[in-house]
Order: sequence, then structure tokens, then C-alpha cells
Amino acid sequence: MENVIELQHIQKSFNSFQIRDLSINVKKGFVTGFIGGNGAGKSTTIKMIMNLLQQDSGTISIFGKSYKKHEKEIKERIGFVYDENIFYENITLKDMKRIIKPAYKRWDDKKFQHYVEQFELPLNKNMKTFSKGMKMKASLAIALAHHAELIIMDEPTSGLDPIFRRELLNILHELMQDEDKTIFFSTHITTDLDRIADYITFIHNGEHIFTKEFYKIEEEYAIVKGTLDLLDRETEQEFVALRKTNRGFEALTANKHRVATVFGDTVVVEKPTLEDIMYYTKKGW
Amino acid sequence: MLNLILKDILIQKNILIIYIATIILYLMVNVSSVFIVFIYSIVFVLSAFSNDEKDNANILLNSLPYTRKEIVSSKYIGTLIFTGFFMFYTYLFDFLLNGKEVAVLWKEILLIMGLVMIVISFILPISYKFKTKYLTIFMMVLFAIYLVVVKSFFPNFNNLVKTVVQNFMTVQELQLYLMISLLIVLLYIGSWMLSIRIYERKAF
Repeated sequence: MENVIELQHIQKSFNSFQIRDLSINVKKGFVTGFIGGNGAGKSTTIKMIMNLLQQDSGTISIFGKSYKKHEKEIKERIGFVYDENIFYENITLKDMKRIIKPAYKRWDDKKFQHYVEQFELPLNKNMKTFSKGMKMKASLAIALAHHAELIIMDEPTSGLDPIFRRELLNILHELMQDEDKTIFFSTHITTDLDRIADYITFIHNGEHIFTKEFYKIEEEYAIVKGTLDLLDRETEQEFVALRKTNRGFEALTANKHRVATVFGDTVVVEKPTLEDIMYYTKKGW
Repeated sequence: MLNLILKDILIQKNILIIYIATIILYLMVNVSSVFIVFIYSIVFVLSAFSNDEKDNANILLNSLPYTRKEIVSSKYIGTLIFTGFFMFYTYLFDFLLNGKEVAVLWKEILLIMGLVMIVISFILPISYKFKTKYLTIFMMVLFAIYLVVVKSFFPNFNNLVKTVVQNFMTVQELQLYLMISLLIVLLYIGSWMLSIRIYERKAF
């Protein structure tokens, strides 16, 4: 399968934070959810993918091309939605369109108009009167109007009401009917991913923990609950993370089947949510 | 690239009328047109620059299919174009309002372009390197130093400037003009390259 985004051995250091040997592939034609806690490095990674930040070492290729030689070609094919405001505040959406439109070769006015109507965006009001949700919709309308093949979104659903969040997911779902489109988006509202994500990429503390097909996560990972007397040095090795209380233990395993053979019926095995996985990985215990 | 230059006009279209109105006002009280064009060109470029900075527009521009080289170059080319516009406009109104003859125009054009290019050559790299708010502080300090120095050492500094400008306008040697123009162009290109280097290393 073809990779649209390939990060290889990326290193990036800041004063108090670093990304270490990060390698991520995003597959063409799928939705990849990008998860991790606050400060895990999601936004930094997205900024490097957009070439807003340069890595200290390692290579980044988008559509199989590097930014060094093909910057314009790559960006021509990317649609972006950011968490922060990126619009000039004192002009209208109509003027904003006037600024952005000539940057793209494949701009489609009809399509833009279509989404502006669908999202009920006012064309003649200053951008500063737009709410966060409206700005996000405006970004999305722009991303969709230039026939982007790759849509990159940084926390698109944060600060949005549940109704629009669901609308957004429906739009993305519709978009994915086209097999050439790829969506990569970061979020910490993991329930958004249940509906739409094919792959999950999880990073923690600037390190890549895993990239897996969504359904495989459920097949492999499990929450295990049992009494403390089941634990010893050997059985504790079965878990990614373990939490003991005086009533028993709760743990996360990355190998559900093995747990079944080791513990048999003595433990309760539950399906984990993405949140469980994030929570246990973060804590580590 | 042209789009980026047009963008700088578009984001200021609401205050364009203020620019135009105040220029007419200045002309009516006989402020020198060289001075007007010089100030307005610089203000226009800096105002566009601070708009980009204030509204996170650098993130937008860098996510659009533009290279960083193009984004910086649009400011340097734009400066020349905007100065040209202000010059045309100011001279037109100067002629209409005051009936000024436009005989020695080419020397004035050279003077204005030269002054704008020198100032922009210093301001843009500083603005790309630091935030423009530091530039304001920098300008304030510079202005204070200027006032102190002028007050204590050159009491008739303004006359001095006038003499230098008048000399510049009356010198007949073409070679001198060519030499100075060449130096300014070199300074401008150097500053341009420096700004590209600074901007390419920037993180957003």
C-alpha cells in the first residue's frame, strides 16, 4: 500500500521537550487518527508535516516527495485545518477567499460556494466575528474547494459542539468515498475516531507507540481485572501497565490471547477504549 | 508572487481611504512630496507586515503553495511597487492641487526610491528576525538618540539635511548618481537575501 506521509527517524529538540526517532507512515486512501495526550508532540509533528517547522534530523516525504525540491507541488495537494486562528481578522471571508484562491491551481469556486452554503457561513462579515467553529468550517471549506488529496487537521473537533462534530464526521465520511483521498487528523476526543478512523497512530512523550488498524487494537489490547494473588513477577510481565488497589488489580495488555492462556477464567477481560490505552500508557505504573 | 503583493493591498483596503485622504491633506499644507511618499511607503509596508504577524497569517501563507523565498520576495518587490503607486498618486495630486511643475522628476524619483530602499533594507531583516513590537522599541530608542544628538551637537541639523538634499538634486555628474544607485541596489539585494535566510529558518 502506498504511503502518503512518511516520517523517518525524525528528531526535534526544544528547550523542554523533544521528539525522538519518530517514524510514522500514513496510508493513502484511509483516515488515520493521530492521538496522544497534551504535550505528546502531536502539533509539533503536524507542523513538521506541513513544513512550518524543520526537523533537526530525519526525513519527511509527502506524496513520495521532499519539501526541499517540491514544496509548492506538495502543498498544492494538501488541505489544512488548524486549531488556532490563521485568518486576517479585519477582512471578510469573501476577501479571504480572494487571497487564497489564486494560490491554488485547482480552485473550484462552485465547490467553495457549496460548502459555504452548507456550513451557513457569512461571506460578508469580518473574520473576527466568526466563532471558533465557524473558522474551522471556513478552513474546511477552503480545504475542500481546492480538491486536496490529503487533508491534515490539528484538533479539528476541539471546541466544537456535538452536533457540528457529528456533521464534520459525516462530511469526512462522504469525502472518503473517493479512494484517492487521505485524512490525517489529531484529536484527543477519541470517541470521534470510533466512527471514522481506519488507522490509529499513537504517540507519547515524543515517541511513536504504535500505528495500527483500528479493529486490530480491539483484537490485541484488553483491560484485565483480577485479584492480587494472581500477580507475581512473571505474570506482571504480561502487561503494558498495571494498577494495583487493595481490592485487586487492573491492567492493560497488548496481547489478549496470551493473557487468556496465562490466566484462563480467573480474570475478567474487557474491551479497552482508546482512552484506556492512552491512560495506561501514560501512567505506565 | 503577484498574489502576495495584491494581498498586502487587500488586507489594508479599509484604511486605504485614510492613506489617500491624509496625503491630500498634507499636500494642501504644502508638505514636501518627497517626504510624503517616503513616509507613506514605509508605513504601508510595515503595516502589511504587522498584519501578517498579528493574525498568525504566516502559518496560513506557509501552508499555502508558496515557498518562503516567494513570501519574503513579495515584500521586497511589493515595496518598490507600493512606493511607485504612492509616488504617482502624490505627484498627480500635487500637480492638480498646487500646479507643481514636474521637470526634475527623475532626480526626485531616485531620491525617494533610494531613501525607501535604504530604510527597508534595515527594517525588514530586523522584523523577520524579531517581532515588530521590538522594532517599535528599536525605533523609539533610535528617535530618542536622534533627538539628543541633534539637539546637543547639530542644532541646525534640519538645515544640514536640506543642504545635502539640495546638493544631491543639483549635482550634475551622472556618474555620482549611478554609483550611489548601484550601492543602494546592492544593499537592497543583500538585505533581501539575508531576509530569505532568516525566514527560511523560522519556525511557526
